[in-house]
Amino acid sequence: MSTLVELKSVTKSFHGVNAVKSVDFDLRAGEIHSLLGENGAGKSTLTKIIAGVYEPNEGEVLFKGKKINFSNPHEALENGIAMVFQETSLVPSLTVAQNLYLGRESFVNRLRGIYIAAQQFLQSLNFDVDPTMLVSQLGAAQKQMVEIARAVHHKAEIIIFDEPTATLTPEEKHHFFALVRRLKKDGVSIIFISHALEEALDISDRITILRDGQHVVTDDANTFDRDKIVAAMVGRNLTDEIYGSASRNRKARPMGRRILSCQNLSMGSMVRNTSLSIFSGQITGIFGLIGSGRTETFKIISGVVKRDFFHGGEARLEGKPVRYRVPRPAVKDGIVYVTEDRKLEGFFETKSIAENIYSGLLGADLNKSLTVSYKEMIDLADVWSKRLNVKAIDSNAKVIELSGGNQQKVVVAKALVQKPKLIIFDEPTRGVDVGAIAEIHKVINELADSGMAVVVISSYLPEILNLSDRILVYRLGRAVEEFSMEEASEEKIMYAAVH
Amino acid sequence: MFGNSKKFGQEQIVFAITVAMFILFSLFLDNFLAADNIFALLRSVAVLGILGLGMLIVVLGRGIDLSLVANMAISVAWTLQLVGTGTPLGWAIAIGLGFALVMSLVSGLLIAYAEIPPLFATLAMGTFVYGFGRAHLITGTDVVYLPAEFGWASHIGQGRLYGVPVPVILAIAFAAVVYLFLKYTKPGQQIYAVGDNMAAARITGIPVRPILVLQYAIGGIVAFAAGLITATAVQSMNTRIVNSNMIYDVILIVVLGGVSLSGGRGNVRNVIVGTLLIGVLVNGMTIMDIQYTLQNVIKSLILLAAIVADSFINPRDEQTGQQGDI
Repeated sequence: MSTLVELKSVTKSFHGVNAVKSVDFDLRAGEIHSLLGENGAGKSTLTKIIAGVYEPNEGEVLFKGKKINFSNPHEALENGIAMVFQETSLVPSLTVAQNLYLGRESFVNRLRGIYIAAQQFLQSLNFDVDPTMLVSQLGAAQKQMVEIARAVHHKAEIIIFDEPTATLTPEEKHHFFALVRRLKKDGVSIIFISHALEEALDISDRITILRDGQHVVTDDANTFDRDKIVAAMVGRNLTDEIYGSASRNRKARPMGRRILSCQNLSMGSMVRNTSLSIFSGQITGIFGLIGSGRTETFKIISGVVKRDFFHGGEARLEGKPVRYRVPRPAVKDGIVYVTEDRKLEGFFETKSIAENIYSGLLGADLNKSLTVSYKEMIDLADVWSKRLNVKAIDSNAKVIELSGGNQQKVVVAKALVQKPKLIIFDEPTRGVDVGAIAEIHKVINELADSGMAVVVISSYLPEILNLSDRILVYRLGRAVEEFSMEEASEEKIMYAAVH
Repeated sequence: MFGNSKKFGQEQIVFAITVAMFILFSLFLDNFLAADNIFALLRSVAVLGILGLGMLIVVLGRGIDLSLVANMAISVAWTLQLVGTGTPLGWAIAIGLGFALVMSLVSGLLIAYAEIPPLFATLAMGTFVYGFGRAHLITGTDVVYLPAEFGWASHIGQGRLYGVPVPVILAIAFAAVVYLFLKYTKPGQQIYAVGDNMAAARITGIPVRPILVLQYAIGGIVAFAAGLITATAVQSMNTRIVNSNMIYDVILIVVLGGVSLSGGRGNVRNVIVGTLLIGVLVNGMTIMDIQYTLQNVIKSLILLAAIVADSFINPRDEQTGQQGDI
């Protein structure tokens, strides 16, 4: 197979920090090439150089043997290189079909015409999306599908997928991989970035692993297994540490006091008459498929959901009935919700790490003081950056400049300075690299050990099994089954969640 | 620490332009550098600067207050009229201040609780305040003169302290108070948080809606204070000022100094820099006898130049903006 793209000792730095450092990379025609590494390892940066988003500081990029220097993604696209971004780059106020044809409309653009064409095209991809829907009305998974469809629609020779499966359900993932294989058969070369190692092993021809912006290894996929990849990614053997058998042999923590109990909580068609209890000193894992109402239940409890959508039922915090219409009183009473979407509602992007952590105190009113103490801010940032191992040049770095794992740690620290009684982690390790997962899990365990009531909502079964002392399974808007740590297994939980 | 943090941004560009113009005018305009002229320059922008500080607080929370000038004109004109018709001075000031405060609270409540966009809410409230004030509060002509009964308060906008005009001292005092408020108080820092990311602020437990109302309330108080200074300086309050482009000048100095209209970014320094630029520019142009209309053209060109320069020096990288991962 001939080499389509070749990167020769490419370096790209931001604010004097090397995101990638003299990396060599090549993509052969018609192959699926996975790019793996922790968050911040430089995968996204590397692919963005190929897709013309960034210009490298050093080194050169060869495309079909010729040196290229795309100045913007559009130029790369014209040359047949398409990138499907991690976070959606669709126009929310346009329909699916309009987004597919964006930038390539004919001068007189007949909507009916593009709707029919888009319908046929989406069907050919097996994507169940209505082309006349506005993108703003789609769920995360459907947006991702439209994004993928758009790249395919551009008839790109090279498609770069940046974590395409993170928001897809197992069924949709299945369709997605079938599509990727079909694209490959049609001669499209694919670069695939993922945190799901099994997926990468399964689909790739070759795998390249980056660590701290440097190239570690490139080889045929069949020479790798999970352990080898993880070892190469983190430079140490972490599998046991995170999802290993060692942690399965631990003892479940006993139930402490009943911190929270809910009776017949309801919200529209999302949460239907669910009842549950949460105890202190242990971790309650909440598992459910997307749309099962698990997140919504806890958003009601913590006052995050807007009051118009709350349809009844009762929640009691330590026996006292509570009904929060905004998060503020919940935070004051010690219920803190750590969001699943840290960019949208987790951190303050123009603010530094220290300011973000300190903002927890601005919300919690732990003291009556009306003034801000900058000494306290710096001390807090020091303590929490160390405890959570936030990696940054200094605590004045902006949160937006950090990797996903470090951003998540800052959001967690911001919640913990509020000294909660009940802390709710919603997908605490989504878009977080392997090393940071271990660190975040360690903190979650410590919190439960210290007597806090901890809730972990996750759609990743190994995470639920590894962390929880008690597992509640959600289906169709209510908690339908409860497992103790000893009796839980992947099969039992999945069975309860889908039937 | 919540505040502006660009290393070389619009604020620095505008400051450089200001210094350059100051030097040029000093070299080529005879009377520019005279102490009297410098004080005149500062006094001419003192009230604008104070209004700019009120606007800063609102803009930081991702809002805008177009009713600022209407609020200022009507509340102070009413105060002057009340004093003129026999109301004791203290009561008249309390009533005028109360009126400005209530009107700005209504704006704030509409924005925070009815979730009306600030642009529409304050545009409507500004029109209401002016219309209501002219129809029912202010009798007689557009201009209400400072009555003799104003007593000690008539010195607010006049006179000098250690040779410095009192309005300038008041503007500096206002700047100091707003600076301390924004940097060292919890509500001040909460305003930055709300302006940066309202959803995150809400989840963190920051009282988003009360903070929004507070911003507009502060705006109303600042407007009344600025109005009192104006009225005592020129011995009258001309309500037709509402129909001038003063409100655009207020927005101009705020934006010019580098305060982001999308909220969360900016501080008192930005407003000072923006105010000084306009002060130097207008003063120089007036000495050069440039027509008022041409002055507006030049002002707008400078604003555009500053914004364009900023977007070249600090290009918005949308991909890094969208994605934290590098």
